[in-house]
Amino acid sequence: MGLKIDVLTCTACMACELACGYHRDDAFALLSSCIMPYRAKEKKNYVGLILKEEDSLVAARPEGLEINRIGEEQDPGKEADASAKPMLLREACDLCEDADDGPLCIKFCPVNAISME
Amino acid sequence: MEYLASNKIAIIDLATRDIIEEELEDDLVLEKIGGVGITKSLYDRFADENPIVLGTGLLTGSLVPGSALSVITAKSPSTGRVSHVPLTLDAGMELKYSGFDYMVIKGAADKPVYLWVHDGIADLNDAEDLWGKDVWAATDRIRDLMGDDLIQVLGIGEAGEKGSDLAQISINYWQSGDRMGFGSLFGKKRLKLIAIRGMGLLEIAEPEEFVEHCAGLLSALKSGKTSGMKGIATMAAAMGEADIEGWLKPLTHKHMACFNTPVPTNTFVFLDEDPALLKETSVAEPGFLLTDISPLLTLKRLGLTAADACRILKACAKYGMDGAAVAELSEKTGLKDPEAIKGSLPNLKGPVSSSGNAVFSPWAAVGNQEPKTWMRREAVAYIFGLHPIFALMAPELTEEKLLEISSLGTGLELTSETLDEVIADITG
Repeated sequence: MGLKIDVLTCTACMACELACGYHRDDAFALLSSCIMPYRAKEKKNYVGLILKEEDSLVAARPEGLEINRIGEEQDPGKEADASAKPMLLREACDLCEDADDGPLCIKFCPVNAISME
Repeated sequence: MEYLASNKIAIIDLATRDIIEEELEDDLVLEKIGGVGITKSLYDRFADENPIVLGTGLLTGSLVPGSALSVITAKSPSTGRVSHVPLTLDAGMELKYSGFDYMVIKGAADKPVYLWVHDGIADLNDAEDLWGKDVWAATDRIRDLMGDDLIQVLGIGEAGEKGSDLAQISINYWQSGDRMGFGSLFGKKRLKLIAIRGMGLLEIAEPEEFVEHCAGLLSALKSGKTSGMKGIATMAAAMGEADIEGWLKPLTHKHMACFNTPVPTNTFVFLDEDPALLKETSVAEPGFLLTDISPLLTLKRLGLTAADACRILKACAKYGMDGAAVAELSEKTGLKDPEAIKGSLPNLKGPVSSSGNAVFSPWAAVGNQEPKTWMRREAVAYIFGLHPIFALMAPELTEEKLLEISSLGTGLELTSETLDEVIADITG
């Protein structure tokens, strides 16, 4: 069981990121979220969602899903993504195991871009 | 204030480069609530020093749906009135997490400066190498300098540097809701830009109840009339201009939301790339984010193609000039050639009606609302920190509910009587 992301529906509003931060900190903050919209290429409007799982860093890109196993050597020809570094240091998604009604990112996504699979 | 705030106000004197920090006292929140209630109060306190006041709403940056808004309050060079303009996209949220709730910028620098606000620190730095750059180049430069592409930039272009009353404070690369000519205030103060990055944390007085109320509001909104609405054409349709959606459709790449705003009110158009492209484009600047419906409606009325209209607005954004004012003046003078309109920017002068007659920027327009209703709804949005367009669309965000959530979040008892008093004070 895990999160399923429809990045073409996502509007990059960051509600999932804030909800995840609340799950971690019982406060509003964005530093400990394990899910975040990728917003670094603003002029190109290239957006996706990044999710830290136990063993992998998932990049839901418009052109498809990319799963990078944590600890495995990456393609040396591939450009390093600055967004990946802070995510790697964060706790992995636990599907909000202490919440009665499922992950908060699903609950707070206004456009239903995140679901369980 | 302990909750939903960084508890800090910065008083920045550009002339002396002194920066003083004050606490955000509970008493001020109990009296003025937040957002424009407090920016107006701070403006009045420093009125003799021609201040620009930035402030966050009480609920900005929270899980309350639509909590995207911060505000700039200053005396409009266009209208001569103390006015308020919205900071949306991600800039309003970023200010909330920057470590400051409010910032007063007074005086004028003797040479160009920029303000770097991050992690509870506000620094003034020399901006001589930024001065003269257009809005896009200045945003790129400051992000490169700091090594962070998520820095939010409130900046001016050549229009602001020259002191044009039509100059706008831009948000990153895009047009903002500044229809009041505040860009010229930055220029006269030799303030090229404010760079903001927020890594803060906002404590909540009653976290579980607060978040449950937010979830309840979102649930109501998802079954309400705004559900499924998307794109800048949404506002046009409500104004009886539904055909603008078809006009823009061939260029539309994606509809984009401001922070935690359920309706994505912005539309990104690709002008130099296939709008259907899913992968990352190799074109450095493929298009433009449309954030303001008004100039589009005017330019469409002039008979321009959507592509030409969007290219004009992109040129306005780079130059740092209000697209609504440019479109209005082009219509007045009968200028219809896109290149001529772009070429006219350096010499354009008002007056323009696009600044409106109210203390709030007329940027937020959905349908033809009765002015008194519009004014009250905008005041509520600007006090609590709600996206001012979304607030007009979403009756579910009632004043009673916002007060209840605010009290849960802050631990302070905020009443409808106080809200009435604050609104009366702001709207005169």
